[in-house]
Amino acid sequence: MTNSLSIRLKPYLYVLPLVALLAFVFGYPLLRIFEFSFKLVRGVDGPWIGLRNYELILSQSLFWESVLHNIQLLLAIPAMVVISLLISILLFERIAGWRLYRVIVFVPFVLAIPIIAVVMKRMFQFSGPVNEVLRWASLDFLALDWIGSSDVALWTVMILIVWRESALGIILFLARLLSLDEAVLEAGRLDGANWWQRVWHIILPQMRGVIEFYVVVSVITMLASVFAYVYVMGGGRGGPGTATMVVEFYIFNALIRTSLPGIASAASVLLFLVSVLLIFPMFRARRRAREEEA
Amino acid sequence: MSKSRIPNISRRDFVRTSAVFGTAAALGGVLPPFARAQEKTLDMWWWGEQELPGLQKFVDGSIAAYKDAAVKSMLQDTAVVISQFQTAAAAGKAPDIQYLWNGVYHMESVWLGYLKGLKGLVKDDILAASNPTALSRFGGNIYRVGWYPLPMFWCYNKTLFEKAGLDPEAPPKTWDELLAACEKLKSAGIEPLGGGIQDGYWSEWYITHSLPQNLDSFGEAVELFIGDKDFRDPKYHEHWKKLEELKTRGYLNKDMSSLELYPGIDLVAAGKLAIGQSIGTRLPADSKATGGKIGYMTMPLFGKGKLAGVPVVDVQGLGISSNAEDPAAAAAFLEYLNSPERLKAFWDATGWLPSNTTFDASVIADPSVRGLWENWGLKPNISNVTNLVPGQFYERAAIPTGQQIVQGSMTGEQAGELAANTAKEWRDFNPDMVENYRKWAVDLSAPM
Amino acid sequence: MVPAAHSTHRRRFAFTAGDAVKQGVLIVASFIALVPTLYMIATALKSDAEYAVDKLGLPDAPVLENFRAVLIDSPFALWMLNSFILVAGSVLVSIVVSCLAAYAIARMEFRGRDTLLALSTSLMAVPPIVMIVPLFVLYTQLDLISTYQGAIIIYAGLITPFSVYLLTTFFRTVPNELFEAARIDGAGDFLILWQIVLPLSLPALLTLVVVNSLYVWNDLLIAIIFLQEDAKRTLMAGISVFQGRYNNQVPLTMAGMVIASAPMFILYIAFQKHFIRGLMAGAIK
Repeated sequence: MTNSLSIRLKPYLYVLPLVALLAFVFGYPLLRIFEFSFKLVRGVDGPWIGLRNYELILSQSLFWESVLHNIQLLLAIPAMVVISLLISILLFERIAGWRLYRVIVFVPFVLAIPIIAVVMKRMFQFSGPVNEVLRWASLDFLALDWIGSSDVALWTVMILIVWRESALGIILFLARLLSLDEAVLEAGRLDGANWWQRVWHIILPQMRGVIEFYVVVSVITMLASVFAYVYVMGGGRGGPGTATMVVEFYIFNALIRTSLPGIASAASVLLFLVSVLLIFPMFRARRRAREEEA
Repeated sequence: MSKSRIPNISRRDFVRTSAVFGTAAALGGVLPPFARAQEKTLDMWWWGEQELPGLQKFVDGSIAAYKDAAVKSMLQDTAVVISQFQTAAAAGKAPDIQYLWNGVYHMESVWLGYLKGLKGLVKDDILAASNPTALSRFGGNIYRVGWYPLPMFWCYNKTLFEKAGLDPEAPPKTWDELLAACEKLKSAGIEPLGGGIQDGYWSEWYITHSLPQNLDSFGEAVELFIGDKDFRDPKYHEHWKKLEELKTRGYLNKDMSSLELYPGIDLVAAGKLAIGQSIGTRLPADSKATGGKIGYMTMPLFGKGKLAGVPVVDVQGLGISSNAEDPAAAAAFLEYLNSPERLKAFWDATGWLPSNTTFDASVIADPSVRGLWENWGLKPNISNVTNLVPGQFYERAAIPTGQQIVQGSMTGEQAGELAANTAKEWRDFNPDMVENYRKWAVDLSAPM
Repeated sequence: MVPAAHSTHRRRFAFTAGDAVKQGVLIVASFIALVPTLYMIATALKSDAEYAVDKLGLPDAPVLENFRAVLIDSPFALWMLNSFILVAGSVLVSIVVSCLAAYAIARMEFRGRDTLLALSTSLMAVPPIVMIVPLFVLYTQLDLISTYQGAIIIYAGLITPFSVYLLTTFFRTVPNELFEAARIDGAGDFLILWQIVLPLSLPALLTLVVVNSLYVWNDLLIAIIFLQEDAKRTLMAGISVFQGRYNNQVPLTMAGMVIASAPMFILYIAFQKHFIRGLMAGAIK
């Protein structure tokens, strides 16, 4: 270890496994998708066809429909934020039994997505329990064909997403709340501010960072990691029809079902570029959330 | 009902055998290659346990009993049967024997040069008896040996027919008769027709039965995709209009959109739905569960094509990959699977028929099942037209059209429009495939 | 955590109407959070016949037949074993790789250090689906489809950026004096990492194990594409096949889901604190 060359080399030996692993799992594929996206790939390779794959994708209604579905899923985020805030603030007030409630409301996040999607799919069947309850309550007009109708299916997936992802928001927000300065809150209470005023003027301003962070993380989820939800709920094909088709599924389908790796790669490139755009807000939000806490 | 479809014994065996295979494979990897060099080895990738429980038992039994080569089998997942084989073949790593769905599901591999023509490789009489179907021919050669048949038919519940005052032995033959029967069933408080379409396959089966009604040959169907014919032409989307008619008249079961294919067929067996679409592999169990009260028929007629009213028999098959080092050894194994003793073993393991016209049908005890084999399997039949459908068309048009018509959110005419657009889209995405389809149309239009 | 003064102060207030509303909201929320689980368990204990007429109520005469059928007739145990092998393999690989790299990044000077960390960290935002096509093609060429080692490498790669990020942050908080002291005692870097840094980092390592295990255990995408052989299927991929095969027997399906969710549930109840912390850390990545 006295040799100066070996000292200079040592850090590189330590990071070598990391570099190799990341180059294999991320680096190589990211280079290859760009290459494949310019080829008509059959099997493992194919002739160069310029920008043709991109032209085809961007002029295909199915692709835009998928994109639109991802964007529609973003509508779930406000609901998730409101629910998470409400529940986390109530828990924070140490309502009697709050520790038990905290354990319970986190349960949705403990269940794996495929499992819960299977359960929900059965619950939301046309003659399933959800509709039975609605009919029993004389709310027949609400007894929709939750998973069978193209107009409703994506909303049903959204219900599932809100249900599960809100649990994460609750725990995130609660952690932030527990680190708030008690003195400030106490002062608010002594000033005679009511519950709404305290939440609005004292608590929320201090939570901006963590809320922003949760929103950014959720945006990434909605745009790029809802595959498991859709795979199970949409009958393995983004159905009914193409009602729950999302970009991830579009890529999966192009690779696995329609044997078009070139098209799948071009769509992957587009999704990758979008995720690159999201990296910056993500880092900024994380930094802010951290500063806020410090 | 379907509990009996999936015999406990086979599932248990499956767990055990997969564990054994796992170990064997692991050892195989560890042992030095020369230890096994004397023996011929064959790789076989297959599928089918999913739709025909017991097949695993047959495969394992056949491998164990086969003396001329060591066969290593791998059961594939439904989603990747094709992509896995094609990618492997492109990389020169394909197995010697590959399970092949009919039509385009293996024809693409033929065009890409991944499969060997079987004429002259497998004995002619065996090849013919196994009925690889017209969809397995290209450029004068044949690419599959038939493995097991899937007769496809419309099923109906005889008890419900009786209840509604219909003759259970004379199911409707024409479209008008069907509508009249549905009306009678409906007014007797019975849901007339349907099943489950949530997972999409009902859409596919509907096309299987209805599109050929206006076709003179399967080549004509291919022309719809390559653009020589057009789905917007009324005769090519009349079948979707018929489905729309069933919907608007209120003959389809109400939970059809949220049920999946098999639970939908269960409704017919359970006496909750009068008419549905079914498949041969289900008949033994359904017939037994209802005491022989499940009838079968061809789809009632509306069309005027030469193929209208001909029974549909799809056949799953096995082929030999171009990567096979010893194609003759692979062919010998396929011939072995068609030996009389193995055909009998197939029936014993699966409770279903192998695809071979020489199979001794006297072992079939259930008259319904035997009748189906005699009327569908041994008489003139056509294959499944949806096996001509390119994957992209299947996902984008074949499945969604049915689902949306059943929901009431699409008309038959709009379905034709979507189909025509999707066919064009497919041509744009797959310029290299269009030429192949064009050549294929020649084989498909030729007489058998 | 909670200042004593605060809680006594709260206790002085009587139970008000506002409190009742808040209790109500929490009860409703808890109910909604639990409904699918309750439905799953109740249904699993019903017979097919009972479920057909009663989809909502508690089972009249609970039957265990469904559980028996699942455990004996379906390869659940095998699927769980597969998932476990993948979790163990990938988490181990990732931890070793990340510890070495994070140590170098946190404690050594070298060119490209900050770039490496920034690059590695930003990979967290790349959706896994993007890498699928080339890896699938490559794996077919290398004969790595349906192998444990193939899937383990992918999983290890996917979870490593977060591990490196978390460990680097943590290693940087280890006081410099400890290093100096160890160095004076003549310890080399590897020894310092092994004997000083790692023991101090146990909480961070534990968090990582939880986050990464959950990720691998719950993944569906990689599992269905890269582990296609029936004998190699993971629990999550198995479930999606299982529910399709038995989709007309809801009670049986639910029994399968109960069994599938049991391991995580038990761990959650037993190690609540670590679990919650681990999941939170994972989400924050």
